[in-house]
Amino acid sequence: MSLALADVSFSYGEKDALRRVTVSFESNQLIALAGANGSGKSTLLKVAARVHQPSSGDVSYEGRALREWPAKEYARCVGYLPQEAEPAFPMRAIEVVLSGRAPFLSRFAWEGESDFAAARHALEICDAAHLADRYLDEMSGGERKRVFLARVLAGTPRVILLDEPLAALDIAHVQQFSRLLREIVDRTQCTVVFASHDLNWAAAYSDRMIVMREGTLALDATPPEVMKPEVVAELFGFEARVQGGWLVPG
Amino acid sequence: MKKATLFLLILLAASIALGIAFGSTSITWSDETARTILFRIRLPRVILAAVVGATLAVAGITFQTLLRNPLADPFILGVSGGAAAGAATATAMGLAAHRGVVPAVAFIGACAATAAVFALAQRREHLDPTRLLLSGLVLNAFFSAIILIAFALSSANDVTAALRWMMGTFFGASWSDVVLVAVLLILALVVLAFVANDLRMLAFGEDDARSRGVDVERVKWIGFGVSSIITGAAVAVSGIIGFVGLLVPHLIRLVWRRDYRFLLPLCALGGASLLVLSDLLSRTVIPSTELPIGAFTALLGVPFFLSLLRRSR
Repeated sequence: MSLALADVSFSYGEKDALRRVTVSFESNQLIALAGANGSGKSTLLKVAARVHQPSSGDVSYEGRALREWPAKEYARCVGYLPQEAEPAFPMRAIEVVLSGRAPFLSRFAWEGESDFAAARHALEICDAAHLADRYLDEMSGGERKRVFLARVLAGTPRVILLDEPLAALDIAHVQQFSRLLREIVDRTQCTVVFASHDLNWAAAYSDRMIVMREGTLALDATPPEVMKPEVVAELFGFEARVQGGWLVPG
Repeated sequence: MKKATLFLLILLAASIALGIAFGSTSITWSDETARTILFRIRLPRVILAAVVGATLAVAGITFQTLLRNPLADPFILGVSGGAAAGAATATAMGLAAHRGVVPAVAFIGACAATAAVFALAQRREHLDPTRLLLSGLVLNAFFSAIILIAFALSSANDVTAALRWMMGTFFGASWSDVVLVAVLLILALVVLAFVANDLRMLAFGEDDARSRGVDVERVKWIGFGVSSIITGAAVAVSGIIGFVGLLVPHLIRLVWRRDYRFLLPLCALGGASLLVLSDLLSRTVIPSTELPIGAFTALLGVPFFLSLLRRSR
């Protein structure tokens, strides 16, 4: 069971965002997607989430090419959280989470009891059950992030793609949220891929790190292999030393 | 949902009853002339106001949802400018006296404007909402220039007549107008119901909707296309009536904060009620004089809106 990109390229007009990337995301893994701004992390997630069609190369899930998957069926298997997903109009947390059930609804159907149950369960997993009836714009950044993660989880996907879920969170919430991702993988054996430009937090709980540079895959390794002064100096231009497993400016 | 629908249905029924009951002539059943006034003049007028109000509110909520912009209204894509430019041109050519010509030319203008905006906003087979907004805005400015030139070439009487039409009116409404707009509105509601589950997902952005299996381009084409057509038809039969399409979705959303699927039918009912009441006031406040209906939609709607806004957090 895996989501695989084979030789995938994508460009926004003239600008190449991904160049011949081959990578696969296996189940039961927490995978961090690291790299500088503009290195192609977001684009990689978008291509995997069916937001963009690759200009060349193939994406497949469970051995079946993406174009052969009916859109809604694929959406039930692969959940995606964009960097910005604020609704245009005020909404309650429970409604936001319920909208994550959309791939399961037929054309004229309304959410039923099983959808509400899935939404409430997702809120509980994210420690956000108490927020259900609150409006999104009355919440802190950390609370909102948890609600949006619950929205993805409500669709019970097997692969979860998160674009910068740790951005704009304070340090306590970064830790809480990272642990939550770890727990979700351990409990459900799903795949979680999250983009982060914070190397230390990307490494902290992950099984695997994928480092992007200028639209190509620069390194695919375990966190201890990536978190070495010579590697980060080469890949990120960051002069660092390791202290207690963490990179600090050297 | 049920309570909201019931409440708005009662409001609409009451508005229609009031609209029929009051007018410049008082109606008594026994009187033959009075019955003629009721069935030939007042009833089609009240029903047309209801249908046009529903149409504008439906177009308004759909544009706001598609553009993710609470300031969008049915005229934002240049429909009103195209219609007004058509009407003004017909006036300048001395056609204003012929019944039906101004609305017909206005409808053509509305369609042309919409087609132009859509053509301008397309980019690599992708309908770009920002480009749509900008094209609509700029085209409206272009049409204003045409209107000014057309008016400069017209007689004062003709200009007054054209302005009256532009300000919106249900004077002279006929059953054929009612049927035209009602049929289009019903078709539009059916089509929009088909895409409502997808359309509401656009609230979270196009990327998000795409990742959830929504065919975003198709939904945008259907949504914008259907709303533009019904707006054009509404404008052709009643002129340019502002505020309904902007205000009603906001009013409804302030009371029932829900997604598009809920709001669509509620907006239709709310828009119908608001326009029936506005029309009633516009023709009865000063006896035997018709005031611009657009003024009354604002006079009725704005205070109501502001009081709701103050009470909501």
